[in-house]
Amino acid sequence: MQSLIIAKKELKLLVRDKLTTTVLFALPFSMILILGFLLGEGFGQKTDDLMRISILNLDEGKGLDNKSWADHTIEDIVSTPNIKVEIIQNKQLAQNLVKTGKRAAVIVFNQNFSNKVNVCSFLSTGVNPFHRDGVYLEKLDVSIIKDTKQPATSAIIESVCQIALLRIVMPWMIGQAFEKLGDPEFIELLGKEVSLPVPPSLRLLIPKEKIPLGELLELASGKDVALARNYREKVGAGIQTALIGQFKNYNLTGKSWASLTRSINPTETDKTLTLYQNEDGAGILKRGAIRYQILVPSFTVMFAFSLILISGWIFVAEKRQGTFDRLLGTPVSTINILIGKFLPIVLISLFQILFLLAFGKILLGIKIGQYDWSITNWMTSLIFLPFATSICVASFSLFIGILAKNETQLALFSSIPVCLFALLGGCIFPWEMMPDNAKNLSAFTPQGWALDAFREIMPSAFDTSTDFQLILKSSLVLLTMGLILTFMTWGIFERIRLGHAKA
Amino acid sequence: MTLAHSVILKIQNISKLHGHFKALNNISIEIKRGEIIGLLGPNGAGKSTLLSIISGASTSTTGTIHLTGEQIQPGNLQLRSRIGLVPQDFAFYEDLTARENLIFFGQLYGLNGTTLANKVNEILEIIGLDEIKNDQYPRFFSGGMKRRLNLGIALVHSPDILMLDEPTVGVDPQSRNRIFEAIKKINTTGTTIIYTTHYMEEAESLCDRIAILDRGKIIAFDTLENLLTLAQSTINFTIKNDRHENFGLLRKNLPSLKESTTPGSYSLTSCKNPTPEIINFLVNGQIEIINLNVDSPNLEKVFLTLTGRHLRD
Repeated sequence: MQSLIIAKKELKLLVRDKLTTTVLFALPFSMILILGFLLGEGFGQKTDDLMRISILNLDEGKGLDNKSWADHTIEDIVSTPNIKVEIIQNKQLAQNLVKTGKRAAVIVFNQNFSNKVNVCSFLSTGVNPFHRDGVYLEKLDVSIIKDTKQPATSAIIESVCQIALLRIVMPWMIGQAFEKLGDPEFIELLGKEVSLPVPPSLRLLIPKEKIPLGELLELASGKDVALARNYREKVGAGIQTALIGQFKNYNLTGKSWASLTRSINPTETDKTLTLYQNEDGAGILKRGAIRYQILVPSFTVMFAFSLILISGWIFVAEKRQGTFDRLLGTPVSTINILIGKFLPIVLISLFQILFLLAFGKILLGIKIGQYDWSITNWMTSLIFLPFATSICVASFSLFIGILAKNETQLALFSSIPVCLFALLGGCIFPWEMMPDNAKNLSAFTPQGWALDAFREIMPSAFDTSTDFQLILKSSLVLLTMGLILTFMTWGIFERIRLGHAKA
Repeated sequence: MTLAHSVILKIQNISKLHGHFKALNNISIEIKRGEIIGLLGPNGAGKSTLLSIISGASTSTTGTIHLTGEQIQPGNLQLRSRIGLVPQDFAFYEDLTARENLIFFGQLYGLNGTTLANKVNEILEIIGLDEIKNDQYPRFFSGGMKRRLNLGIALVHSPDILMLDEPTVGVDPQSRNRIFEAIKKINTTGTTIIYTTHYMEEAESLCDRIAILDRGKIIAFDTLENLLTLAQSTINFTIKNDRHENFGLLRKNLPSLKESTTPGSYSLTSCKNPTPEIINFLVNGQIEIINLNVDSPNLEKVFLTLTGRHLRD
């Protein structure tokens, strides 16, 4: 009861300080909006997310297996581990994306791409698309729309395109060439070119020193044209079989890179192919922009922990104005005083977190939760997690408040949980912008745990699963941190009360 | 012994060490119920430290304090509701009104409902803040009003002992009088009062008994009357047509009389006020007095006599 009296008083004091209350809620709101406008759509996305191969597929022809060569090429790029491919819907969009700098380059497989690949061959009548550095794109009816202001990225994209085309066109040409080895026409040609020496014992039958292979086959067939053709085919097949035996590591008839090199196809999970999606959001506030999906949880967590400074300040002010000693002079137990101080901070923090989530949802169109969540999932995400975070915030506030003897100490002490931990926890710079091992440090900060869980309940547009175990684990870690800090605060409080330490 | 004169607070051998510094040195006094006790001493004498230990806010290094037989210890929270402490500095919420401050602290002491409302009204009247607007916050109060609110908060739970730590520092004479009136009024209800000050006039006018503290020790503890006997009075007078026989006559009757360098001027210093005796003698001897002034003893002089230093050094 006495703790409720203290809690009521604390809330009354805070509500009376209208400026502080306004700043408490308006500041994170404004920061999210301003940063959202300033940072642009790419903010918060991983370099890997931004580095994707954008492709416009206009190919109208058919290639191997009745599938267009563009599809084969796209599949080849998608199958390359860690390369993301997005399909741009039309040429105008592709040009706009490059023109506005949103994409460094877009690979365009034009209408005749398949037809051009189909005629690529080592034969003199076929098209040779190769040159010293790779493939002549124009010979294959492929073009790349490039942003001249992003030469490095567009060069990388072009290299990816070149390698993919080599992997597509080269096996196709080798496979075709290998098939030609079995053609009777080829053996006939070979028969004219290859002459065999006639042993002296056969000189009576063949009065020559050397005989062409073709003539020998005709002789063997007894001038039977059909039989001679059959022999030629057998020689062709024999050559093919011999070559296959000779080059066992390769499937020379494969016609695709994977088949030629006898590779194991990559697993489906490695493949990332998406349709281009506008992530810039809509309206003046750019509702639904992906950056808010990063900014809202980050600032929600950061400002929740900023309460440490405000609450600690109230605590230190109470010490300075003597009311803290007066409170200690009353018959109210230490635990009641602590609860009385603790409750308002939990309530304010909880309200602030839910306010920012609602603000994010209503004004910025961020995605919270999934449509298939159960009530338990919603409760875990929107009640248990914010509550655990608020408990941790309140515990930190009281701990810093009881440690600091004056405002200077408070400013110094609270900068650790408010600024340093926010930085390490990924609230200021998203983890995506940090080196991988830096993320490990976030495990030592409450912000890191809280942010991990809040980002889980505010997934990006492409995430369809939620790790509730992570949310639960983070909440429990936050509660544990809170309990430890509260216990330590209680210890210091008791020492002060028993006259063993100074407030 | 009646209840009114029973010992309410027994302080035995209290010492307090801050490192090697002895803030209090073996203090032992007994305070009776209903008394107004003055703790007089210069800054740093140990007055606030003693009050802090009595209130249970800090511990002594040695010794015990008993409130009607029950030992005061920081962990003994129930005893705190029998003690009221008015700290030297303002200790109230500047953004709660005077009434709200009183209600808040009253609730913490377990008061509620009509009892609390009546008590708050009574206190506001005693401290003269009953006519203050309800929406006026203490941050806009004058120094005197703040002092009175500071006093009022310590009264809201009707303590057996009220301790005031220099409650008139920096207040105007009008507020000082109001505070004095309030203290006297509270005392009439049977509340024992311990009043620390370094203003001797306050101790003289308010207190039944005065303890003089210096460097952590009580160097005297008695009624004002008895304490004043520890210092000497000096009477200076000048007579008309001074003749040699007059001085001989005076010297004969007042052996410790000293003759000043100015003819006809004399002075006499004594532990006992010699004024009536001198006037009697001069009148009977038909010696005309030109002027006469008495330098009466006061607590300042008592302190000077006992320590060799001035109270406000």
